[in-house]
Amino acid sequence: MTAMPVIETKTSTKVSVRNLDFYYGQSHALKKISLPLYTNKVTAFIGPSGCGKSTLLRVLNRMYDLYPRQRAEGEVLLDGENILDPGIDLNLLRSRVGMVFQKPTPFPMSIYDNIAFGIRLYEKLSRSEMDGRVEAALRGAALWDEVRDKLTSSGLGLSGGQQQRLCIARSVAIQPEVILFDEPCSALDPISTAKIEELIDELSERYTIAIVTHNMQQAARVSDFTAFMYLGDLVEFGETNTLFTAPQNKKTQDYITGRFG
Amino acid sequence: MSEHIVSSYDRDLEALGRRIAEMGGIAEKMLGEAMDALANFDTELAHRVVATDTRLDALQREIEESAILTIARRQPLAVDLRECIAAMRIAADLERVGDLAKSIAKRTVKILAEARVPRAIIGLKTMAEVASLQLKDVLDAYAQRDVERAKTVWANDTELDALEDSVFRDLLTFMMEDPRNISFCTHLLFCSKNIERIGDHTTNVAETIVYLVTGESMPTERPKGGKPATPADEAKEQSL
Repeated sequence: MTAMPVIETKTSTKVSVRNLDFYYGQSHALKKISLPLYTNKVTAFIGPSGCGKSTLLRVLNRMYDLYPRQRAEGEVLLDGENILDPGIDLNLLRSRVGMVFQKPTPFPMSIYDNIAFGIRLYEKLSRSEMDGRVEAALRGAALWDEVRDKLTSSGLGLSGGQQQRLCIARSVAIQPEVILFDEPCSALDPISTAKIEELIDELSERYTIAIVTHNMQQAARVSDFTAFMYLGDLVEFGETNTLFTAPQNKKTQDYITGRFG
Repeated sequence: MSEHIVSSYDRDLEALGRRIAEMGGIAEKMLGEAMDALANFDTELAHRVVATDTRLDALQREIEESAILTIARRQPLAVDLRECIAAMRIAADLERVGDLAKSIAKRTVKILAEARVPRAIIGLKTMAEVASLQLKDVLDAYAQRDVERAKTVWANDTELDALEDSVFRDLLTFMMEDPRNISFCTHLLFCSKNIERIGDHTTNVAETIVYLVTGESMPTERPKGGKPATPADEAKEQSL
């Protein structure tokens, strides 16, 4: 699919993926993907394992640069600037485009330092300024009330759901513009999942969000737009409300209703 | 439609469809028999129609329960979700059709004592025939997921509206001819209204079928015949 899907919306486009091809060595993982991420909207990527949705997410902050023999062709415009450009400052890019992974990945340090660590990479703050930023980040991730009395204890001592919110707080702390979630709830129980979903909803007021999920109902609940991918192709992109009630493409329908294969 | 990976899911949805078909059959039969009972002043048949309604009510509840259970258990999406919602809606409409047929049957029992001018019933019979045909068509459209057929049923309801209009005029004439006809004809007026409403429920089912298959809703306004919408409107108009 080469044409950019057009959705009538009043919001602007934060990230514009255009004719994106991605290769793992010889393997062609993404084929001419074009889609927008709208500002302050949640876009979900769904599709069976190996469809390229996580790959697409990893292109959006150039995570793939960490690995050899992986390359992307095409354009990914963040506010009009092509982030695939070799001259782009990757550290700056990753401060603008944060990421939360499938398994919580707190650093083996205190809760406070988990947050402060990232901020120190980009900014020099006084102790009181830093305290403020850490608190704001933990509040932003709906974790403050649970950890305010134990900021100095290890982040690894938190429950899985709390660890995941700590990771979200860490992303939020450096004040990014886009947050990428790679199956953020797949290792969490339903209550923790609900908290993360609630959080994603709140975060979308300030950030542009992309989320990869295997849970169709989760995509239907949290996202404004959904992209269905299959074997490296973008099969259907549209408003979530339409895509989950009356999808246009038969393949989408078969997948989301559990008729695949 | 290809099958689900989980085959019990297919069986759940098929069971919903089968029970809708059963309800449709019962509702159709009730309407036909209620009309026969009225035309032949057959109280025994009328009582049977009234008794049948309990089965229809029970089926509606069953459909509703299993649709809710399917939604809770499987979180259906897209066409499956529409399947569950459509089953609930259609069951509710068919249940109302049964109620309206039952109401005609109950009136038959009352009317008997004062039965006059049997020719007044002829127009009603025609209405009931059209309504039955529409109901049958819409149930076939459901069984075959046939959007075009559903749309035809939807558009054809104007015929029933027009017929109700002329039945209204006839009954009015009989009442004006002889005031002793008034009570009898008033009962028949209600019967004609019931049949007209059955037509409305039939078009609701047609709309639901279009939604079920396409995911799109029909326009809210149905085309009307050139005449005023209902006899009541017309009566108002004449009194001005």
